[in-house]
Amino acid sequence: MNIETKNIIKTYNEKTVLNLNGDYRDLFFESGKIHGIIGPNGSGKTTLMKIMAGLILPTGGDVLYSGQPLDQDIRSKMTYSNHTPTLFSRSVYENIAYPLKIRKGEQAEIHQTVTQLLDEFEIDEIKNQSARHLSGGESQKTALARALSFSPKILFLDEPTANIDPKSIQIIETALKKRNREQGLTIIIITHNLSQAFRICNHLTFLDQGSCLFSDTPEKIMASTHPTIDEFISFNRF
Amino acid sequence: MDYILNGIVEAFRLIFSFDPEIIQIVLLSLFVSFSSTLYGTLIGVPLGILLGINNFRGKKMVSRFLYTFMSFPPVIIGLFTALLLARSGPFGQFQLMYTATAMIIAQTILVTPVIMGIVFNHASTSGYEVVQTGRTLGAQGWNILILLVLELKGVIMIALVTGFGRAISEVGAVMIVGGNIRGFTRVMTTFIAMNNNMGQYSVSIAMGLILMTISFVTNSILYHFIIGDQNEYRD
Repeated sequence: MNIETKNIIKTYNEKTVLNLNGDYRDLFFESGKIHGIIGPNGSGKTTLMKIMAGLILPTGGDVLYSGQPLDQDIRSKMTYSNHTPTLFSRSVYENIAYPLKIRKGEQAEIHQTVTQLLDEFEIDEIKNQSARHLSGGESQKTALARALSFSPKILFLDEPTANIDPKSIQIIETALKKRNREQGLTIIIITHNLSQAFRICNHLTFLDQGSCLFSDTPEKIMASTHPTIDEFISFNRF
Repeated sequence: MDYILNGIVEAFRLIFSFDPEIIQIVLLSLFVSFSSTLYGTLIGVPLGILLGINNFRGKKMVSRFLYTFMSFPPVIIGLFTALLLARSGPFGQFQLMYTATAMIIAQTILVTPVIMGIVFNHASTSGYEVVQTGRTLGAQGWNILILLVLELKGVIMIALVTGFGRAISEVGAVMIVGGNIRGFTRVMTTFIAMNNNMGQYSVSIAMGLILMTISFVTNSILYHFIIGDQNEYRD
């Protein structure tokens, strides 16, 4: 499912936090790709992602999903997870099973899917532990396993690997690339880690102060001469 | 000092004598307070959740009113209820004044804002996140409501016990609308107040001990549900 944003504007209390105009008035997120959204703090990345995920309404402009406006059917095919995921006060296993249970899945099928995810994210040992007592890495892996359990078509991730250990980052990146490659999952990820963006993304969008300065392949961003982008890359050199 | 010690000894004697009047007073107190807590929960929990998770114009004003009502003096609630239920009042035709029903109505008015305020406060903060997360995972309608109630169950329990504590310990409202009529509307708190005024400390202490025991039991149940729940999945 492609996502197109058309001249998105978002204001909070008369302060404009996002205003996509100029060359990047309209943005296109191609289906089956991994899209990175990068930029300094306060540049409007999370706002843009929440608008695309249907969590907040834009003040102006439209978001289209393969040419269609957001409806319940489209909403049921996408999910969102951020760097401080809200896990429910039940076991890790029950958290991952939740999206399948509300979709009335077969018990045996649910068990098989959850077991597979617990194994893939290496959280099998903590499956009976309360999800309210997990480390940062365990929380992220549980949240991501839960998000992937119902095989969504679009996955929105807001800094999913912020402040977690390298092993967990590797597990998460491997799982994302596998889903993208094998199931054609469209992933839109916000990251401050430029090396991660280059490792996993097919397409990058750079935001600064609510405007978009760049939206193209990772290779092309390196050739950009825009001073803000150049400065951002210099600070994040790897 | 002697009268206090004698009072305590006499209190235990009274408790273990299973005096029918004492039992009747305790049972009526529990009935009135449990009933009002139940009605307060049925009104306060859904309203607290609904107002908490939704953002609307005037929400701050609603929260200010709610917090004011949480600490409203029971005598004022009693007076307000009495004005409504008095023979010449708008609901006078139902002849509810000086009945257990009047006491339940007054206590329901008293505890509903307490329950609603606690639920509202938590639903405004963590409830919103739960709703958003549930929606991103595909939950809608009843699934969202069930998820929210399960996630807020600890808070709902605290609200319930706080509401019950307020109901069972108040004296002003039930005194005004119940009238402390022996065998009909006399409850533990009005019994203590009356006997204290009459200098009969032993029965006051006895009833005070029963009240404290009830408070201890309800708090123990709360502790079991909340702390027990937190340890539920620990290895």
